[in-house]
Amino acid sequence: MKFKTMLTLFFVGTLLPALAQSESEVYMNFPITVKGYAGDKTDSASYSGQIARHLLHNSLKKLAGKGNGEPNEELKAKMMAYYAGTDEGREILDPKSKDGFAIKQTMIDEISKGKELKGKTYKGAVNSWPGYMTGPEVLEFLIDKASSANKGYDPITGYDYGQLISKFMMGAVFYNQAVDNYLDERLTADKNPNDKPYKEGRHYSGKEHVWDEAFGYFGAPAHAIDLEADQAYSIAKRKPDVMAAADHNSDGVVDLKTEMTYAHAYYAADADKGGKTSYLSDITGAFIDGRKLITAADSNALTDAQRAELMTIADTIKMKWEQVIAEATFKYAGSVYKDLQKLIAIVEANGDVSDAFRAYAKHWGELKGFSMALQTSGKDLGETAVKINRLIGFSPVHLDGNQVTGIDGNGNYMTASGSSMAEYMVHMVKLQNLLGDAFNLTKRKNDATSQLADLIESVGASKGAETD
Amino acid sequence: MPGDNIIVGISQEILSVFFDPLKRVYWVYLLSAAAVAFVWLKFRRNLSFFSAIRKIFSKASWWNTSARADYCVMAVNSALMSVISPKLLGQTAVAYLVFEWMHTLFAGRPQTLEYLPQWAMMAAFTVILFVLDDLARYVVHRMLHRVPVLWAFHKVHHSATALNPLTVFRMHPVEGVIFAIRGALVQGITIAVFVFFFGSKVQLLMVFGAGVFNWMFNAFLANLRHSHIQIGFWKPVERVFISPAQHQIHHSISEHHHDKNFGVALAIWDWVFNTHCHSNTQEKLVFGLSAESTEESHRLSLLYIQPFLEAFRTATSPIRRLREVRKTATQNSLP
Ligand SMILES: [Zn+2]
Ligand SMILES: [Zn+2]
Repeated sequence: MKFKTMLTLFFVGTLLPALAQSESEVYMNFPITVKGYAGDKTDSASYSGQIARHLLHNSLKKLAGKGNGEPNEELKAKMMAYYAGTDEGREILDPKSKDGFAIKQTMIDEISKGKELKGKTYKGAVNSWPGYMTGPEVLEFLIDKASSANKGYDPITGYDYGQLISKFMMGAVFYNQAVDNYLDERLTADKNPNDKPYKEGRHYSGKEHVWDEAFGYFGAPAHAIDLEADQAYSIAKRKPDVMAAADHNSDGVVDLKTEMTYAHAYYAADADKGGKTSYLSDITGAFIDGRKLITAADSNALTDAQRAELMTIADTIKMKWEQVIAEATFKYAGSVYKDLQKLIAIVEANGDVSDAFRAYAKHWGELKGFSMALQTSGKDLGETAVKINRLIGFSPVHLDGNQVTGIDGNGNYMTASGSSMAEYMVHMVKLQNLLGDAFNLTKRKNDATSQLADLIESVGASKGAETD
Repeated sequence: MPGDNIIVGISQEILSVFFDPLKRVYWVYLLSAAAVAFVWLKFRRNLSFFSAIRKIFSKASWWNTSARADYCVMAVNSALMSVISPKLLGQTAVAYLVFEWMHTLFAGRPQTLEYLPQWAMMAAFTVILFVLDDLARYVVHRMLHRVPVLWAFHKVHHSATALNPLTVFRMHPVEGVIFAIRGALVQGITIAVFVFFFGSKVQLLMVFGAGVFNWMFNAFLANLRHSHIQIGFWKPVERVFISPAQHQIHHSISEHHHDKNFGVALAIWDWVFNTHCHSNTQEKLVFGLSAESTEESHRLSLLYIQPFLEAFRTATSPIRRLREVRKTATQNSLP
């Protein structure tokens, strides 16, 4: 008898809440709350403009690797069409359908018309790049250089333009728009009030849409919480074995609007693989919580208390999103460290360095791009940013110890001898320590000093309280 | 009340040493030491069961003026060290500094050699860390005796007239600081050098939460060094490992025992540097600084303040002597 009672209690106590929780949390099917809406829409969640921009970015990255090493006006024009144009007829260059992974859309216009990236790029000064330029100026400069580079790579400077453009753009457009605009000033009472539709005739309220747009920029599939980190990650890689997991509505195709992983959501999933962190589900969950709060207001103006709660959720999102970018920066600092170790060994053995240097350039481009992205939140990172930029410098350190120091009046790079490759390894170690401390990182992939920390822990702190 | 919190914090700090396998007085080590002592007294000294137990837990060794001073010093020190330690140079800082500096020194970092087996690297690291740590303790301990300014502080430990395992905590905080920095340097440098060359292959061979050699030392020898139970080894063994009785000689007031047996676990340093002395378990030892020690010499204020005054006097004595020499010189030159 007693046993049965306990068993029942066990079921009620542990299984029922678990069942209730397993009801999937998806960022869709939010009711329409706008009063007097007469159209035929049934879901108020809408962020297709952001998805269109993700696809413009993905496509632009593809184009960045198409150059043949000669100045190429046609390629440059095409890249600019994806960056600054609004014309119809732009094809989605990435991701495309492949065997075992069918994708619903092929054209940008099928997602959203008239979208571009330049107008949404961070306008502030970019101190992490030479030449005293604004965000859009840096991207146009990089696009110009990429169009005349060989497959986006310049072996003289060690710049991988595809990586630089992509990683910086994710910060300067998506991250900046979300954390500095939608999750910031647009949450104030007088901007996009919740008791009015976002625009006349729209099926979503002001705050509903502001929140949706921020979620759209993050780049997670609507059902991200149902996915394992490595599934969410592999969806972006179009792996056939995650096709079923990606196709949430089981219509046989992956809908780029709601079922694909983009940009920082992809890097959140990357960090979460292995289970040390849960950035993807934490951030997506926070977005869903916030959206529920707004939906529950039922197109009434948000009270101060409701807005305060929303701001708290927004702060969680901002903090974790920043950590995702910092984790990626940390990871590539570790890759660069290992690349340098390899390179030095090859140089000492008089071997052929070209492949190793190419890998180094790629990782450095990712490192630099992410570190630049980190500085586009509109929040001043203060001395942390200064130190990050000084440790990384304006280019990878070359075999002869030279490094880019600036851009001259004709747009050419200037170099000067700086630190040796060995000293640059130390910069990477210091950079990882700085990032780990400043942003409170837990994943710390490719940690160059994890071994030191582990051994120190096992030996134990010497407090010196014993004598003989 | 905040005052309560401080008291709770300090008591937790004091008690934590009994639950930390990296500390000598971890309860398991105390228990195993008692077991070793019992076996020794019962089978070597042929004491009865009860007299062996009585000897181990005797009031004479655990509750007397000297022992009570040990406990007080331990309490005061753990409060002081919890404030001082975080400000000291730690092994983490040393390890990172050396690790970074080696990149410049070796113009890069060698790739880990694939053919080195992991077990060999683990064994090498564990042995070398233990040996270097032990050597450094020997050197510092010897200096504490031979350098007059340092001896002023180390005297606090030697002022104990009765020994029990908690006497390890009877020391002046200045000595605590010296020992902490010593540990940080030796461990920090060794860890950094090994990681730099051998990377992920380096690990510490551990048993029950401590390095294997430290564990063995702590479990069987450490707590018997400061006790009244004179356990000696066979002479050839005493040349390699210091027996508890040999450390008791280090605390003896007899002239012929002065400045002997500075070592901690290994006796080879004493042997090589001529400070070695075998144990003689027949000999009755008197512990302390001199036969004249009184209740007064265990007064807490004296233990903490006196060393500073004495160190100051020692440090300035050459100057004073110089002045006196000059004075006499001028006096002599007078007609
Ligand atoms: Zn002692
Ligand atoms: Zn001594």
